[in-house]
Amino acid sequence: MTARTDTAAPAGSAPPRLSPAVLWQRANKSTLLMIGVIVVLFGAFGIASPTFLTFGNLSNLATQIAPAVVVGVAMTFVITSGQIDLSVGSTVAFVAATSAELLAAGLDSALVIPIGIAAGAFWGLVNGWFAAYHRIPPFVVTLATMSVIRGIALLRTEGFSVPIDNRLFLARIGDASFLGFSASAWIALVVAVAGAVLLYTTRFGQYITGIGSQEESVRRAGVNTRRVKMLALVLSGSAAGVAGLLIAARLGSGSANSAQGFELVVIAAVVLGGTDLFGGRGTIVGTLIGAVITGAIANGLTLLGMSPFLTPIVTGCVLILAIWINLRGRDMAELGARLLRRGS
Amino acid sequence: MAEKPPLVELRGIRKSFGAVTSLSGVDLTVGAGEVLGLVGDNGAGKSTLMKILAGALQHDSGDIAVNGRTVRLSSPADARREGIGIVYQDLALCDTIDVAGNLFLGREPRKGPFIDRAAMHAESARILADLHVRVSSTRQEIGQLSGGQRQTVAIARAVSLEPDLLILDEPTAALAVAEVESVLRLIGDVASRGVGVILITHRLQDLFRVCDRITVMYEGRSVDDAPIGDLDIEKLVAMITRSDPQKEERP
Ligand SMILES: Nc1ncnc2c1ncn2[C@@H]1O[C@H](COP(=O)(O)OP(=O)(O)OP(=O)(O)O)[C@@H](O)[C@H]1O
Ligand SMILES: [Mg+2]
Repeated sequence: MTARTDTAAPAGSAPPRLSPAVLWQRANKSTLLMIGVIVVLFGAFGIASPTFLTFGNLSNLATQIAPAVVVGVAMTFVITSGQIDLSVGSTVAFVAATSAELLAAGLDSALVIPIGIAAGAFWGLVNGWFAAYHRIPPFVVTLATMSVIRGIALLRTEGFSVPIDNRLFLARIGDASFLGFSASAWIALVVAVAGAVLLYTTRFGQYITGIGSQEESVRRAGVNTRRVKMLALVLSGSAAGVAGLLIAARLGSGSANSAQGFELVVIAAVVLGGTDLFGGRGTIVGTLIGAVITGAIANGLTLLGMSPFLTPIVTGCVLILAIWINLRGRDMAELGARLLRRGS
Repeated sequence: MAEKPPLVELRGIRKSFGAVTSLSGVDLTVGAGEVLGLVGDNGAGKSTLMKILAGALQHDSGDIAVNGRTVRLSSPADARREGIGIVYQDLALCDTIDVAGNLFLGREPRKGPFIDRAAMHAESARILADLHVRVSSTRQEIGQLSGGQRQTVAIARAVSLEPDLLILDEPTAALAVAEVESVLRLIGDVASRGVGVILITHRLQDLFRVCDRITVMYEGRSVDDAPIGDLDIEKLVAMITRSDPQKEERP
């Protein structure tokens, strides 16, 4: 180390303040737009249904969106790093069914909860190992494991739903509430805060963003980019494990058929919130907003007495709309190439 | 002095990408405090060779010695540990990360598990001010800077690593006159402190201002090596294009 820069800092080299112009420049425009959409949406449903804006229903909405928030926060890391995880719905079902089975076999909740999360992390590790270390596009890997993971759960339970004794600790989490909000809702809030801290204030978060922007630049800076990419998928797998436990606890049963299409709801929430589908730019607040929007649509339609089968149709349409807004001028072919791209 | 091994010595470096052979035997040495100009046609293999030296690519055969010790540079982190700093031709910046984040990419200052952003921005502002780099804020995203500003940030990053060997792969391609001058001055400064410098540039007049020696590459091989005092622009052009009929061809 022979070169040295002068240590005497000249006047005026203090870090520049965040000026309003810089703040505006950095604010995610689609996140701001989505806050507007929430206001309009809540207003419309509030007028159409007198119960929509009651505290009881809003608390109920918070419980309903909790699993999507938990997984959406982790999916924000995955998408920001330029990857995708389609297997989260299957992992939710796998963990829900498996933990119900383990409880039925007499295992204590104190063991079943960590096992459930670890099972999710394991599937994330499988995805990450193939995607990051063997350069199979994550779109392809997770499309395959999506089928495998649910398949294993179906094979084990033969498609039957496994009931959970409502005296067990896990079942009681499903009923617990604090300040009018369910334990699920609080857990989702904690996950969202933790996710924001991880994404914005740690090296891991910085590398996730950098990898989504220019992976090779991060690699050349001496970072083990494969490990970071694998960890992102481990994160989404673990979050799916948590969501599987929450869903099993709330429903009082675990089914290999649960959480069908859950990955679409989660991806819609993330993309709607303004996280760039091309990677390099992620927003946890946006994901929270996106989950509120998709959740409010499902909740509102049910309140208005619409068929529950309308929800997947609307969710799909919202996803297309979200992607359309997200692309803003860039084309779909570029996105396809990106999703199917091999690691460099 | 004669017994002291050179700072970095490359011998017989070869590298292929599948069927494409980029390097077919390159020898190169650079001493401490020496400025080596590396020249050659487009596609001669200069950048590939420098990526190998920076640990970003692995060579197929040949030896790399740092201070006389043979080393394996199996990752960019290895090269950094050996004191090798580089400004890549493509700059290797992240567009959606801010200036400070790019300056400290891979070595962010931490407070516990968190990035110490205040320290990172303060230190970045200091580094940029020392090098007379003008950006409006260290919080600006790299993608929003001009090509020249991006290039100076990449140079500032490499210099701030305080390397023993500084590699500059076409560092002035996007720079205005004044900025080129300050890069040339910077090269002189770091070399006078004992840092070895490898400068790749197509601006031949710059080579005559800062280099001690020139190595010429042609189609993946090092074909010539001469002290700058023995050369003039015409001779140098002839060496690069290998068009000079009176010159003896060295295999
Ligand atoms: N990743 C790669 N895959 C295949 N071929 C490559 C790769 N990288 C470099 N090459 C080939 O190696 C040769 C040398 O390229 P290199 O970039 O090192 O040239 P250069 O001397 O830096 O040229 P320039 O002056 O244009 O920057 C070129 O023919 C290039 O096509
Ligand atoms: Mg080059």
